[in-house]
Amino acid sequence: MNRFGRQVTLYAVSGLLVSVWAFPVLWAFLTSFKTERDVLAYPPMFFFTPTLSNYKEVLFGTSSILPNLWSSLVVTCSATFFTLCLAIPAAYALARLRYPFRRASGFYILATQMLPPVGLVIPYYLTLQRFGWLDTYSGLVIIYLTFSLPFAIWLLVSYFEDIPYEMEEAALLDRAGRWRALWFIVLPQVGGGIAVTTVFVFLNAWNEFMFAVVLGGNRVRPVTVAMFNFISVEQTQWAKVAAGSMVAMAPVILLGLLAQRHIVKGLTVGAVKGGGRR
Amino acid sequence: MSARGSVKMEKVSKRHGETTVLHSVNLEIKAGEFFVLLGPSGSGKTTTLRILAGLEPVSGGQVWIDGEDVTFTEPGARDVAMVFQSYALYPHMTVAQNIGFPLKMVGQSQQAIAEAVNEAAKRVGIAHLLSRRPGQLSGGQQQRVALARAIVRHPRIFLLDEPLSNLDAKLRLETRLELHQLQRELGVTTVYVTHDQEEAMTLADRIAVFMEGEIVQVGTPRDIFGEPSTMEVAGFIGTPPMNLIPAQWTENTIDIQGSTHQAPMFSSQSKDITVGIRPNDFRLTLHGISARVLHIEDLGDNTIINFEANTLRLKLKMEGLTNLREGEEVHLSFDPKSAHLFDRQNGKRLN
Repeated sequence: MNRFGRQVTLYAVSGLLVSVWAFPVLWAFLTSFKTERDVLAYPPMFFFTPTLSNYKEVLFGTSSILPNLWSSLVVTCSATFFTLCLAIPAAYALARLRYPFRRASGFYILATQMLPPVGLVIPYYLTLQRFGWLDTYSGLVIIYLTFSLPFAIWLLVSYFEDIPYEMEEAALLDRAGRWRALWFIVLPQVGGGIAVTTVFVFLNAWNEFMFAVVLGGNRVRPVTVAMFNFISVEQTQWAKVAAGSMVAMAPVILLGLLAQRHIVKGLTVGAVKGGGRR
Repeated sequence: MSARGSVKMEKVSKRHGETTVLHSVNLEIKAGEFFVLLGPSGSGKTTTLRILAGLEPVSGGQVWIDGEDVTFTEPGARDVAMVFQSYALYPHMTVAQNIGFPLKMVGQSQQAIAEAVNEAAKRVGIAHLLSRRPGQLSGGQQQRVALARAIVRHPRIFLLDEPLSNLDAKLRLETRLELHQLQRELGVTTVYVTHDQEEAMTLADRIAVFMEGEIVQVGTPRDIFGEPSTMEVAGFIGTPPMNLIPAQWTENTIDIQGSTHQAPMFSSQSKDITVGIRPNDFRLTLHGISARVLHIEDLGDNTIINFEANTLRLKLKMEGLTNLREGEEVHLSFDPKSAHLFDRQNGKRLN
């Protein structure tokens, strides 16, 4: 095949992949501007008179999701913050220290990711109940830490391992001491990795549904759960659900855009050992 | 020359689990000295340097700097600076920030740092690169940044771990000379690790030769070249390396493959020895070791001739050109004063 043909094929295949990914999002985007009646029209309408009533209803109506957005934000930000606070030192230690069963502990951390979350819902429920932490922010944040922490540690270790130890030794001789060597020399260089980890942890916590629906309640109800306000036995208000999704997606997309540069760089650097100059 | 920066190591040893990397090393380095730790890879020279820096804990023994016991002192508290083989520059900082880092860590003012950085950078000729990042520099420039980062703080000792090994041959020679000059100007005690015996010979005031985790000889380059204390040292120092020939030493004569040579001294009993002859100490004579010319290496201003004498391979180095041809039969001999005699059993020097 000639070069031109190859290019065309490449674009065709990637176009196909993108449209498979983008279709539901676009469909939800369009739906969010339709009236409930237009949503159910058959055949589906591509041209219609857009309305903002769904957004009005979702944000300021009787079952506004604004308090739920706040809940999501509190839970997600706290979970992300504590995850990073604990994962950064843990990953650094795993990358640097030589202790018995180092490999085994690395695998153990990853292994916790392999448990199906459904199997944990009931034990978590019972544990939180005993502590009186059901339907509280602290309860949900702690549960989120159980899955975000191992993931974050595992992701960060490879970034720390990429920093040659000699660089820290040089800092030690430059009178920095352990902590300042970490702060001035190591952390700035794993900045990309920390950005990537932040985004993934935030994303996972923000989109989490199952734990939120079981362990949350009336006081703590993240937006993923609140979306169900618009689905009832009698009817599903698809346009409202779509508008809610759009609103819920916004913070994540914003974060993604902000961290985009770091993510792309961070992902490639982390993946290929010593790949590229930094 | 400053009076600070003397080093003493006593019975320093280092073990990693079962393996011993350093056996009871004793070492004394005088203030202001350019001291080279020389040895093949894995001989313990870098470990010794790292112990001196405080990066590696000792398994036994003691280390003193200026009479003060620093065996368990943190690296940062020893007032020593190090240039790593990889340079270990901080890639996220500019050259100026790299050089100024050790000063920033002790809380010097911005202005004092800027002045000191400028001066250090000027000294090593990189003043025009201060705003660049290490990734944008050539290997030689990076090496200078590492050097500037070491000299900026006026430490009492410089520790250099094969600082020239990542440079190309021409740059290495130039930098070697500059390094020597810099050390003379600053007068700071310098401990320099290398496996390159030529580097050691040209730079050092004194050399410690390491073999298999032990110091086998300490002395000036002249001492070590002129009177290597063991067969191993003899074989390691000098290019091309010394010819080591099995021989028999009886009274005043040395017997090599049936040819007799005068011994430099008298032996009361007959001994199995190894005679060491530097390639440029061999002479072509009418009698002596009979050898056949195997190969001639013409290096322009001098020539190395490779001989075969039975199972032995011998090298002769001479000035200018030779009119010998490959395959020709000759006899080799040497001045008894230039012969190095070693015990064949334990490799120790006998004369």
